[in-house]
Amino acid sequence: MADQLAIETQRLGKSFDEVQAVKSLDLAVPQHSIFGFLGPNGAGKTTTMKLLLGLARPTSGSGTIFGHDIVRDSLAIRARIGYLPQHPRFIDSMTARETLRFTARFFFSGPASGIEQRIDEMLKLVGLTEKADRPVKGFSGGERQRLGLAQAQINDPDLLILDEPAAALDPIGRRDVLAVMERLRERTTIFYSTHILDDVQQVSDTVAILNRGALVAHGPIEHLLNGGDHTVYTVTLDSAPTDALAATHARVSTLPWVTGMETLHRNGATTWQIGVTDEHTAKAQLLRHILSDARVTVTGFAQKKHELEEIFMNLMEVA
Amino acid sequence: MNTLQRIALWEGNTTTMWRSGFANMLRKENHAWWRTRRWWMQLGLWTLVIDGLLALILFGLVKVQTDATQNVEQFDLVTMGLQAVFQLGTTFVAAGVIILGQGLLLGERESGVAEWLLTKPVSRAAYLLAKLVASLGGVLVTMIVVPCGIAYGLLAIANGAPLSLLSYLTCVLGLSLHTLFYLTLTLLLGVLVDTRGKLLGAALGVLFGGMVLPGLLGRLALAMPWVLPNLLPAFGAGATLPVSIWLPLGMTAAFTVVFVAAAIYQFQRLEF
Repeated sequence: MADQLAIETQRLGKSFDEVQAVKSLDLAVPQHSIFGFLGPNGAGKTTTMKLLLGLARPTSGSGTIFGHDIVRDSLAIRARIGYLPQHPRFIDSMTARETLRFTARFFFSGPASGIEQRIDEMLKLVGLTEKADRPVKGFSGGERQRLGLAQAQINDPDLLILDEPAAALDPIGRRDVLAVMERLRERTTIFYSTHILDDVQQVSDTVAILNRGALVAHGPIEHLLNGGDHTVYTVTLDSAPTDALAATHARVSTLPWVTGMETLHRNGATTWQIGVTDEHTAKAQLLRHILSDARVTVTGFAQKKHELEEIFMNLMEVA
Repeated sequence: MNTLQRIALWEGNTTTMWRSGFANMLRKENHAWWRTRRWWMQLGLWTLVIDGLLALILFGLVKVQTDATQNVEQFDLVTMGLQAVFQLGTTFVAAGVIILGQGLLLGERESGVAEWLLTKPVSRAAYLLAKLVASLGGVLVTMIVVPCGIAYGLLAIANGAPLSLLSYLTCVLGLSLHTLFYLTLTLLLGVLVDTRGKLLGAALGVLFGGMVLPGLLGRLALAMPWVLPNLLPAFGAGATLPVSIWLPLGMTAAFTVVFVAAAIYQFQRLEF
């Protein structure tokens, strides 16, 4: 399993004087995943990224990237990753092309023609070909972000660490960035932080939510959207005799894997939201239990899907 | 041919350990010195300051005193010239290096460029040493070698014969080491402090505060870098020194090594 992880941390922590910025973080980022790292401002996302990149040193715990220790083997790690900071800063006097050339030479010393070809590809990928020979000094925030994305990919990294990659982009730019991330999934792992929950729901396959330095949720996004360990099924019933509904309700609510039932009435129809602990048993048996009374007719049966925003807000409120 | 295949054709940059990224960083730092107007501005400034002052003393003073029908010994003029180059020049160049070097590291720390660069496979030692080597090259050529070369010619003209080349080169070496002392001190302070004000205050404090050291340290001061502005012109003029010139030169070199080692040590621990 460890061999298949791009990033793994064990009780990773960082404190600044009295402030605990990251608390005992246990992360497992699978290779070739798009891993969304969520949390409100000040949650510790950027600090965690800096710990992984060797820009800061952990005060407790440890971490590895592709099996390399983040403190001892930082150089070997940095040779395999690309990083886009939240606010990309470059050498203002350099042009976009010079910036990419300078970046590429940290990784490659081979034929200049190969490097130039790679630079042209990256410029095209992020839509900066026409501005390639202009000094970075005159670039807008969005253009810097695009250049940041290009330089992060110049070495075809095994892991891309992106801190708020779409924050400064317009909707089209955002869509392009998400498309690039999707394309890169096959050959690289993407670990990125964002505030834009729609984006996470759209492209991420694994998510971690951080609040006040502590991990409050972590896992495959499908699992999280399905309610995590607390799956809820929504059953819509056609009109039926009251005593039949009451009897069915009583029977189902006593099943050992049912944690609770909530009844909603809307437009003459009755909807039950049934919480279960065993998703597989519920999937196989719940509907049969309900339909065992022939007077009850079911018009809708589905596992309730949560919105990431709803999950996120709930977690923040609980915290 | 796709990207991965093409990259496979590239020769991977396999340099590891402390040298990783040094060549690329050095190229970038040299570019900032020699492919911009910086080099000729510095060259013009220091040639004007050192050689202009020297020319004024050697030829301007002669004219003034000749007009006043006073007899001026050539020897005195050369001694005054050597003092201009190796006493005033040493102090001026040190101050210049401090001012020029204040942004060497702090500039990139303040702008976020250092943080960006240190996410690439460049070691922190390579990052610092590339800055030091490129700056040293630029400073040596524009602030020392060329102005001192011209000064040697001017002194030879005023003296009527070339000065002892060996003595003169020893003085140039002393000036270079004194400059390197302040360059490495500025680099170290760039790691230790986080504002230019603190850096300038500390570095200029060492430069000008050092002038009062001889009074405080007695004979021990003769082994310190701060004595060089007084000893170098005397050595160049062939005067008998109270101590071998190699003692303060050696101590200055030792200080620079300590500063560089301390800067690298502290920079390894710096967090961004």
